[in-house]
Amino acid sequence: MAVIKQNAKLPDLGATLLGAAMALPCIMLSAQAETAPEKGTLSFKYLNYKERQQVTGNSGQSVAWTDSQSGASAYDDRVRVKATATSVLLPLNGQWSLSGTLVTDSISGASPAYHTQSLSKLQDFRRAVDTSLTRYLPNGKLALGLSHSGENDYTSRAVSLLATQASEDKNTTWTAGVAIQRDVINPANQIVANEKKRGSDWLLGVTQVVSMNDVVQLNVGHYSGRGYFSDPYKIYDERPTDREHQTLQARWNHHVSAFNGTSRLAYRFYTDTWGIRSHTLDAEWVQRLGSEWRVAPQLRLYSQNAARFYVEVDPRIAPFPPSPSPNALHFSEDQRLSAFGAVTMGLKVTRQLSVDTAVDVKLEQYGQKAAWKFTGVGSQGLAPFYARSIQVGITHSF
Amino acid sequence: MLARMMALMVLLAVQGCAIIQPVEAWQKGTLALPEMTFDDDPLERGYKEHTYTSKEASSGGSSIGGGGCGCN
Repeated sequence: MAVIKQNAKLPDLGATLLGAAMALPCIMLSAQAETAPEKGTLSFKYLNYKERQQVTGNSGQSVAWTDSQSGASAYDDRVRVKATATSVLLPLNGQWSLSGTLVTDSISGASPAYHTQSLSKLQDFRRAVDTSLTRYLPNGKLALGLSHSGENDYTSRAVSLLATQASEDKNTTWTAGVAIQRDVINPANQIVANEKKRGSDWLLGVTQVVSMNDVVQLNVGHYSGRGYFSDPYKIYDERPTDREHQTLQARWNHHVSAFNGTSRLAYRFYTDTWGIRSHTLDAEWVQRLGSEWRVAPQLRLYSQNAARFYVEVDPRIAPFPPSPSPNALHFSEDQRLSAFGAVTMGLKVTRQLSVDTAVDVKLEQYGQKAAWKFTGVGSQGLAPFYARSIQVGITHSF
Repeated sequence: MLARMMALMVLLAVQGCAIIQPVEAWQKGTLALPEMTFDDDPLERGYKEHTYTSKEASSGGSSIGGGGCGCN
């Protein structure tokens, strides 16, 4: 990784690792595809992602001024990511399969040192490998996953194990998974060295076929981590050395034969020991057009409250960072720990080129604002934040 | 909280199984459509989950083992 130092500040770890975050080994709960695959699959997907935030005035309040000539609002560019993900699934025989995914991320742009202020340039590259070996059983499967992600200032390893068990009629599937992660952090600014973060999580799920056109899923997850959770590239950032969170997720896929379309709805509740609670609603309609095309508009609504140690913008001294309370053990001025709401709108188009090959394109637009919090007032003084992304993918079975 | 979530899950599964008419194997053509599954595009899911993890405080929900993110 090559981080460009500018303004004597380094970019925040989270943002420099935006791509680092991508396509890491996750084992997914699914009721379908419990049998060994008969064909291999090769998939590739390219992502082009770009963030920007509205220009802020000296008070820290966003300024919705417009360029008098162009009429466009003024924005500062933030992180930009170009990522590739290549995945292969190989059936070994009737009972085993092996899969692997390689992800590369090139990250550039700028990230705030506190709140949405003091944007600092950054550049980064990351490579991650994820492998999984699956054993198929008469009514279930067992999957072992291994992963490694590396760059200059952050190394992560993870091991996961997932088991599924379906009922005789295969209408009900129970799933249980466990995973452990070991991360080592060596920030380029050497504020700390060889810091570690260790975590484990588990997930229980049940998927139920409700009718010929309905399938529902309920998942409960728990994460527990210990170690270095602070962001070494942020000003005034001292977080607890442990964190636990729980999630409850419900999903429902419903096919409407009359329209040859499918609605996909999901809700997730999240709560953690830092005092954050969030609600996430996902809605998607997949419309089939003939036998070749699928068009899928998507909407995502999100809302969270602030971590209990988040330090709000002080309008009396903005745009300068407020000092944490002298007695405070933990504090952070990270925008991501503030209270806000977010909206994502997306459109995905898939074309089936043949029985074995499909291509897809997806466009997404994301916005994050205090005023979009579902209830109450979000954190004040932060610049509204936006992102857009384009994905292009191809999948081929062989 | 966790215990309540799990109790809810078990209750829904048991209750659901009791009132739902079983769907036979030959009636599952629609259920086999990619859009009726919960993980029809794993690469897209990977991008999605970790992009949101880097912009918001929440993570997790439907997958495990996603280590490596420094997105505090």
